[in-house]
Amino acid sequence: MKFLCVPCDSPMKLETVDPDRGSLSVVYSCPECGYEIAMLTNAYETQMVQSLGVKIGPAGAPAESAGKCPFGAMIPAAGTAAAPASADPAVVRWTMEAEARLANIPEFVRPMARTGIERFARERGVVEIDETILDAAREFFGM
Amino acid sequence: MKGYHDIAGDGGSRILDQIAEQRTRVADGLAGVRHLVAVGSGKGGVGKSTLTIALAERLRVRGHRVAILDADFNGPSQARMAGVQHAVFVPGREKAALPRTPTGIGVFSMGSVIPESEALDFESAARGESHTWRATREFALLGEILGAFEWGSLDLLIIDLPPGADRTVQYADFFGVRASFVLVTIPSQVARGVVARSVAALSSRPNRLLGYVENMSGYYCRDCNAVKPLFAADASAGFGIPCLGNVPFDPDLARTCDFGLLATALRDSAASDAIDAIARRLLDELNEDQP
Repeated sequence: MKFLCVPCDSPMKLETVDPDRGSLSVVYSCPECGYEIAMLTNAYETQMVQSLGVKIGPAGAPAESAGKCPFGAMIPAAGTAAAPASADPAVVRWTMEAEARLANIPEFVRPMARTGIERFARERGVVEIDETILDAAREFFGM
Repeated sequence: MKGYHDIAGDGGSRILDQIAEQRTRVADGLAGVRHLVAVGSGKGGVGKSTLTIALAERLRVRGHRVAILDADFNGPSQARMAGVQHAVFVPGREKAALPRTPTGIGVFSMGSVIPESEALDFESAARGESHTWRATREFALLGEILGAFEWGSLDLLIIDLPPGADRTVQYADFFGVRASFVLVTIPSQVARGVVARSVAALSSRPNRLLGYVENMSGYYCRDCNAVKPLFAADASAGFGIPCLGNVPFDPDLARTCDFGLLATALRDSAASDAIDAIARRLLDELNEDQP
């Protein structure tokens, strides 16, 4: 979808996107005259665009993500998948490099990956998960 | 006044660019796959999933590198059949490693992610109106999966499709011309009628229809070591596409599927012999060298 400032015959630029209870307030402005309009979407319109799996918002800005965990409502801890492990010393730790690799995989499998790899580490008496452990787990579990 | 096509770019939303990037990630993810073979039907309950895992295993035994994508997100069965219900997803260097069966077949199934007591659900701004957006969201998820897992270098990626003639065509559109199709039917007029619709729907697409398999083509009685009729005699003609083979119903095959043992316990039987013959025929159709 594109917006045209009719008096200026100039394409308008996306400025901001504010989500609000299933609606998006998408503000465009004309670079020629500065006139602003806001497109306010209903829930259907919001969802139709989000269903494409895209982020909605101007480039470089924090955007309303359509890439949220699709199972957030049904998998406990899915929304906190990237949170650091407990401070309990009995819990295995993750190095920054290992956390970075975990962040590369789809959000909806991250909680399961974290749990399974920590179990793999504990079974081997390992208390810190680093890239070596991830490579060993990959060799053990993966194709 | 300018029209849509007079304006370059989209004002900054980058939605078209993001769609293009998604497609590039999918294409890159599948770049090492020689053959994409989708196993569909249109009809549910005809044995698509059983045939998918059994074919994959026979192809693996023949020396081919094979993986399975369970594209039936709402009724995934490959996780159970392949014994990867409790798979551990491991991050590789850039993407997630594909879980594998004990025999080495890579499998992605939503059944490894969601327990059978739960249904696939999505967060939505239009909850209660899923008929308006759900299919689009599922294909976006399919793209995410294809782009995010290590499919690696494969001879065949076998895609287990959900039921529905309309869905079958949507997958043809999603994967494009490089996906070939195998359709599964059973010897009932009801099933054959639905499969015929799928053949008709796919005929309007450029994808290759490799042929069809008649499953539950009689049942194999181990006591008698004979195949007996399961449905009323059916002398119907084919679908105008090659018949890749007929597979008798085998209670032992069904049992191994239920318990995730198929990949390791596919024993000598009329059904496994038939599936082996179908694997050979499939490779012939794909012009794939056979060891």
